[in-house]
Amino acid sequence: MNLNQVKLNTNCIVKDVLIPEQKTKIRLMELGLIKGVNVIVKNRSMLKKTLLIIFNSSCFSLNADIAKYIEVNYV
Amino acid sequence: MFKFIIAGNPNVGKSTLFNSITKSSEHTGNYHGVTVEEKSKIVKFNNESYQFVDLPGIYSLNCNSFEEEVSKTQLLKSNNIIMLLDANSLRKNLYLCLQLSEMNINYKILINNYDYFKKNKNEIDVNLLNKNLKNEVEIVNAKKIKLQEFLKIIKNDSVFSSNYNKKTEIFKKNEQNLNNLENNFNFDYLKKYINLVKNKFNLTDYEIIHALNGDILPNLQKKQEIFDYIQQILPDLIADRYKFIDNLLEKAIKIKSGFCYGYSKFDKILLNPIFMLIFFVFTFFASIYIIFFNIGPLFSDFLINIFNFLIATPFLNFLYSTIDNIWVIQFFEGGVFSSVTTVLSFLPQVTLLFIFLGVLEDSGLIGRLAFVLDDFLSAFGLNGKAIYIMLLGFGCNTVSTMATRSMNTKELKIKSAIINPYFSCMARLPIFVIIASAFFSKYAYFVVAGLYVLGIVVALVMSLILNKTMLPTKRNDFLLEFAPLRGVEFKRVLKLGAQNGLDMLKRIFGVVLTVGIIVWILSHTKFNLQFTEAITDSILFFFADKISFLFAPIGLNNAGIVSALIVGLMAKELIVSTISITNSVNTNSALISSLTLSSSVVHFTPASALSFLVFILLYCPCMSNMAVLKKEVGGFYFAFATLSQLTIAYLMSFVVYLACTKGAMLSILAAVIIAAIVASIIYISKKIKHPKCLSCNKCK
Repeated sequence: MNLNQVKLNTNCIVKDVLIPEQKTKIRLMELGLIKGVNVIVKNRSMLKKTLLIIFNSSCFSLNADIAKYIEVNYV
Repeated sequence: MFKFIIAGNPNVGKSTLFNSITKSSEHTGNYHGVTVEEKSKIVKFNNESYQFVDLPGIYSLNCNSFEEEVSKTQLLKSNNIIMLLDANSLRKNLYLCLQLSEMNINYKILINNYDYFKKNKNEIDVNLLNKNLKNEVEIVNAKKIKLQEFLKIIKNDSVFSSNYNKKTEIFKKNEQNLNNLENNFNFDYLKKYINLVKNKFNLTDYEIIHALNGDILPNLQKKQEIFDYIQQILPDLIADRYKFIDNLLEKAIKIKSGFCYGYSKFDKILLNPIFMLIFFVFTFFASIYIIFFNIGPLFSDFLINIFNFLIATPFLNFLYSTIDNIWVIQFFEGGVFSSVTTVLSFLPQVTLLFIFLGVLEDSGLIGRLAFVLDDFLSAFGLNGKAIYIMLLGFGCNTVSTMATRSMNTKELKIKSAIINPYFSCMARLPIFVIIASAFFSKYAYFVVAGLYVLGIVVALVMSLILNKTMLPTKRNDFLLEFAPLRGVEFKRVLKLGAQNGLDMLKRIFGVVLTVGIIVWILSHTKFNLQFTEAITDSILFFFADKISFLFAPIGLNNAGIVSALIVGLMAKELIVSTISITNSVNTNSALISSLTLSSSVVHFTPASALSFLVFILLYCPCMSNMAVLKKEVGGFYFAFATLSQLTIAYLMSFVVYLACTKGAMLSILAAVIIAAIVASIIYISKKIKHPKCLSCNKCK
């Protein structure tokens, strides 16, 4: 599932955090984005390449380079 | 002396707590990464000395940025750590606490921002939390807590009372205790990972626990293999840590209404890119207009009148009545008061602009702007965080160069530091306003605004060039936690403005006055050390005149202008004071008039004035910026940055001067030739850096 399938204000569950660069994957996990966490995509930026997501009551903005590797399941 | 370390995740209020208990005024702001280096202050209470250290925010001991490394180093070697947690993000904040506990590092937990948490009808059962965390958790208000109250909390804590007088031999202590992993928590999950690593490598528990927390000890063999293996098992370990935290928090936290810390209903409007950009650009340029061209001059006139009435006039009257020596009188009139008054007149404006930037910082808008602009900036090889650097750069380039530490890769950090001086700092504004007012009267504001825009454009183009050549960024690793929108705390913002105003005042009566006196002496002394009223006979003009031919192509072949530019390398405020001394004027209005008169030593035509403004905008900001730049990016990139600033300033001024004097066509032709030369240099540098090879993706 890629970024194009992530819709605005869609409540998703992270199926896996798949990022080629282990360092970034570990940082996302350390911030609490682990398998099974609810992710709400709240907004997108100017060119829609940056997402604003909410998980575990925290709000993060992250670039599509990172976000596209977050595999999600729609609820 | 007792030393306390204040640590925690970014934007939990560490600097606010530090300021409250030490009565300091360190920079705070409602965004992540305000503090980029540790700050320390010693305070005395009841005949005891206490040192408090404020660390940059850190999410985890597996560091992801340069400022996190600074914090980690301190945390690993310190006792008496205060972990400040945000009540609204306890789960995430406790992750770092857990890592410290795994390493048997003691700490005291303080919880901040509980009011906001309670406002959402949520509650923390502190007794249960204490029991689960085996730590005496306290709820504090970082904004309001006093030193006495803080020390009472700390001294009553059992962990601290046992550690209170110990020195920082934490490693030794850890090694002895780590075989018994039940000091603070019972880490059943950790034993599993210790055994996994033990099966692969011959390491002690102590070495493994450090490695699992991103700290591979330097004396170990096979460091890379250990690192790679730890990276493999870390995702499962992180998941287990969060399970552990969830168990700790279960029942202790009662969430009655779901909430998201950081996101509010106003964000639906604010995060609209078009609205946000229009709002920001309009607010920023409107504030410059109001502060520098509308209400600011009223404050300036008032301040200068007060200064003249109380200090300058009585002192000069006294000199005229008591001293015969014209040299001494002119020294004070033209050297001391000239260098001070013209810069002093901009003190109210600069203070007001810092207050405006403080409002932006406090409101949480900067994080929103970073989000909105991330895509745009990534096209130039930057990311959304660069907006922090830009806004700080509008205040002071030296501070913003240090803030580049918040960038998470070396390439991004160096790139941001190199382009940062092109964002016009506050010290350049006085000269922009004076020259623009002198030559472009009713269009003065648009000239100043245009200079800001030009600085931003040059910075972005420079970043793009660096991204294509020396400092390519493979992908945009933008990851930023949103700070909540909140009302502006005017007391803090006014304090910030006053602090920056005071800093400017110190510079005026420090470096500006000192250099002003030196400039005055050099511009009124002949080689035979005799006083001269004819500045053209002075030592300063002799040397400036020798090199002024270099500035002829950009219309600035005037020894007075050249000396101002040279002195401006030390600090940009000095340009105004140097020109005032050279033209022997004491007030802004006299300075503005003198610049248009060909009889003045320093004078311009509209074309050379514009060229001068462009040169000042783009060449090296000041000595302190250069020193910090060298420290942050190293000798090679510092040399590159300095040379490129001088070259770009010269070429851009040349194009502008040509456009004004010879017409647009010729300047376009010159710009095309310059662009072709730059493109050739980029092409050659790419070839040098990436000779034909089969493995390098850049060459394919």
